[in-house]
Amino acid sequence: MDFTWDFSSVVQNYPVLLKGLGMTALLWGVAFPASMLIGFAISLGARSRFGALRALTRVYVEVFRNTPVIIQLIWFFYAFPILTGYQFSPVTAALCGLILNASAYCSEIFRGGMASIPNGQWEGARAVGMSHAQALRRIIVPQVLARMLPAFTNRGIELAKNTSIASVIAVQELMYQGRALSSAYYHPLETLTTVAVIYFVLIYPGAFWASRFEKRFALRA
Amino acid sequence: MNYEWDFGAVWAHRDMLLAGAFGTLKIAAVAILMGVVIGAVLAIMRLSKRRWLELPAIWFTEFYRNTPPLIHFFWAFYGLPVLIGVSLDPYVAAIIALSTQSGAFYAEVIRGGVVSVERGQWEGARAIGMKPAQVVRRVILPQAAQRMLPPFLERSFELIKTTALASTLAYSDLMYQAMQVNSITFRPLEVYTFVAGIFFASLLFLSVLAHLLERRLSRFTFLPAS
Repeated sequence: MDFTWDFSSVVQNYPVLLKGLGMTALLWGVAFPASMLIGFAISLGARSRFGALRALTRVYVEVFRNTPVIIQLIWFFYAFPILTGYQFSPVTAALCGLILNASAYCSEIFRGGMASIPNGQWEGARAVGMSHAQALRRIIVPQVLARMLPAFTNRGIELAKNTSIASVIAVQELMYQGRALSSAYYHPLETLTTVAVIYFVLIYPGAFWASRFEKRFALRA
Repeated sequence: MNYEWDFGAVWAHRDMLLAGAFGTLKIAAVAILMGVVIGAVLAIMRLSKRRWLELPAIWFTEFYRNTPPLIHFFWAFYGLPVLIGVSLDPYVAAIIALSTQSGAFYAEVIRGGVVSVERGQWEGARAIGMKPAQVVRRVILPQAAQRMLPPFLERSFELIKTTALASTLAYSDLMYQAMQVNSITFRPLEVYTFVAGIFFASLLFLSVLAHLLERRLSRFTFLPAS
């Protein structure tokens, strides 16, 4: 245990990690809004009148929730080109996998949020003379949003953690840069610990906020 | 789009994939067991009113819950050996990574279950003369266990999916074996689709099973009527 920590190689090469951080931020920044949008569309499909569409969205959600993310990314990078003849760049493949995965979870959040609003809210809004769109905008959506915020924050956190898996298909994000640095300078312990701490600093505020919000909401409800 | 699917390549290497499936099952089972032990220890530390026990447990769970699982694998495989001076093989490193991260989540599950039992249950059981150990065994745990079951199962399914990351340490789990088969046969579409299908089918089967189990248990409830 008489190991002396030597962070010099990490400190001197901080631009390498910074570059990786930029890529991680890009992956997250593109994938999170995109998966919310797609997730919303899917949740509409899950409430559709057409049985076939409902079944299709169910299959989509279950497939992406019940397979490991690493397979999804590898599939889009190695298998998808064979099916379509179009080769994705690592970043595009990673984005595809991350977005489809997260959108499956997001659609469940939307679905749960909409289902949690009692029918009386709709009826009450209609009774005071609001149109369907008004009821949705003024009564339903504000309540749904408040209820879904912690769940979406948690999804954002999971997504941030999942971006690290993009390193497996050679996307040069934080994890990839950290591994490159650690194998170049033979300081794996210091480098990987630093990378872990960077992830923690990025992710923890979100988790802290979500749990605070959840508690406040639980008290009110 | 006129691709000819050919699962013959997958079938020809079924023994490799089967070995991988066993590898996945092995680390999943061991990691769940060890994760529960670690989680129980952390939960007890957090439930104790002693600050010096509580704080390290909080730091541990928060750190593991808020960092990517992949880094735990690399840290256990490349970082930890430097610290302890013993090199670890991929199997041990994968077990360490999986059981510590799932332990952090199980700790929250266990703590949440215990905290959810109201104070009155404690006081009532004490009032009719039970010793603290008896209260825990006969009153608190049966109620807490029922509340812990759903999040525990959910977390365990998460763990099973996370085992696929052990392939990055060249541990021969299903994912790694699939990569090997792919490099022999150059049939990534069939191989990876097949492996995704295996994960999908097993996890779906397990969650149906979990659902049935939860329904069955809810029939003879330990929980007080609300």
